[in-house]
Amino acid sequence: MKPRFATVLSWLYALILAVPLYYLAVSALKTNIEIFTEPFALPATWLWHNFATAWETARLGPALLNSVLVSGVAIVLTLALAVPAAYALARTDNRLARVVTGTFSAGFLIPPFAALIPTVVLAIELGLYGTREFQMLFLPASALPLSVLLLTQFMLTVPPALAESAAMEGAGHWTLLTRVYVPIAMPGVVSVAILQLLTFWNEYLFALTITGTAPDVRTVQVALPTLLSDATDLGVLAAGTVLTVLPVYVAYALLNRRMQEALTAGAVKG
Amino acid sequence: MPRSRLLWLTVPSLLWFAVFSVGPLVAMFAIATLKWKGLLYEPAYIGLGNVTKVLADPAFHAAVRNSLIQVAVAIPVMIPLAFMLGYHLNTRPRGYRVLSVLYFSPGLISISTTGMIFYGVLSPNGGVNGLLGAVGLDSLATAWLADPATALPALIAVDLWRGVGWTAVLFAARLASLDGEVLEAAQIDGAGRFRTMWRVAFPMVKDYVRTLTMLQFLWTLFTSAALILLLTKGGPGTSSTTLSYLVYAKAFSQRDLGYSQVVGVVLLLVGVTGMFLIRALFRTKEESR
Repeated sequence: MKPRFATVLSWLYALILAVPLYYLAVSALKTNIEIFTEPFALPATWLWHNFATAWETARLGPALLNSVLVSGVAIVLTLALAVPAAYALARTDNRLARVVTGTFSAGFLIPPFAALIPTVVLAIELGLYGTREFQMLFLPASALPLSVLLLTQFMLTVPPALAESAAMEGAGHWTLLTRVYVPIAMPGVVSVAILQLLTFWNEYLFALTITGTAPDVRTVQVALPTLLSDATDLGVLAAGTVLTVLPVYVAYALLNRRMQEALTAGAVKG
Repeated sequence: MPRSRLLWLTVPSLLWFAVFSVGPLVAMFAIATLKWKGLLYEPAYIGLGNVTKVLADPAFHAAVRNSLIQVAVAIPVMIPLAFMLGYHLNTRPRGYRVLSVLYFSPGLISISTTGMIFYGVLSPNGGVNGLLGAVGLDSLATAWLADPATALPALIAVDLWRGVGWTAVLFAARLASLDGEVLEAAQIDGAGRFRTMWRVAFPMVKDYVRTLTMLQFLWTLFTSAALILLLTKGGPGTSSTTLSYLVYAKAFSQRDLGYSQVVGVVLLLVGVTGMFLIRALFRTKEESR
């Protein structure tokens, strides 16, 4: 039987995806000359010191720490803002609640890039230009619409009878939220956390223009392109790129299914 | 706290959203009316002066054209292709695990790493030229990112590289949530695979196709600045300058914030118009009730 069109197409595209990734991996261990003369061969000698050079030249160590710090604080802030809001929206059904939900639905469609320059101005006005702190405050705002909407969906799965009976026994909102709603909506909280952590970790343009390229504050996404120059060592660049994507792939290897669910959930809610 | 007051809990997130997202968006319109040479200078009000300047600028015309080309090529290729691949993934073909991991990959990789991967692949001594050399097509080799004829197509190719697989995974996830029996029944009724895909499965997820088309449209239109900044800086000349990149370049390298924000407003208008067009294109009979 001849292979079906769909099968051929799907593997062809898989190949197109895989080849640049393979090229990246082998280039990381080669010299510029070898990259050019033997682009797809395995390295003749494995130049592990490309990784050390990339690590030192782009100062990836502090950059990784900055990325962890910014993403970590931003995700805590995002959840602290979004969880109570989602709880309120899941438990209220009136016109005002629908207006709030509508606001977040519309906000979800605003591409963050749209207001890049005024956001830079805002950072300057707040005296936070060139700091990591602004990113920690700003990133949650761009993540809020989707986070609130997703968390509300998950909190709506709490049976109203359960909430009513807990309330009858005298449980306040805080108890209800922490003992009933958050535990039941936990898969949603985890999904939102994974999805937004990845978004924060990968954010580039705002980190570049607001936090800037100073080695002590820049994130790893900003540090990596500093390896470009008039005479870029493509091997070192590839090694730096591998080091930058590695944390995300390790997370993916560990969380595989959960991560796929989280990321598809993010776009399924539209 | 009585039940009716519960909505106070949404106030912090609304405020946060207002300050950091809505505020800057509104400020765009104000900055668009200023003569402002850079963030360290004092701005002066010039009303619609920037608009006249922008409309008369050939760089702006090039950016409009490039953005339209980018969207008009990337989206009509991406969405149908991603739908077909997503449909195929959903049938759990042989090698499903490998396919799904690969398709998912671009969703994990940031724009700056994507940029660095393709800087290597597309550079004059890079992978594409190496591949052409290996199969004896040296004559086709070029400096892909520095050749006015190939810079924009190369950027669109990168958009497709990352967009198609990721969108396919999303389609597969949505199709998996459908009732599989309907699709099986259609196949048993003798509808061919191709027919089942487009006549049965497609209408069932049409709303979702519309949503993803809108999102991909907005992402492609608005976020191209980052990749262009990393790979071509809009050049050579203005051959790969899009509206999104023009907003960035005018503000940060050419020191004309008013101009930049007029382009930003144009970008928003194009975005909103495009959304309405996509909506109209996918209008279903049920919705016109």
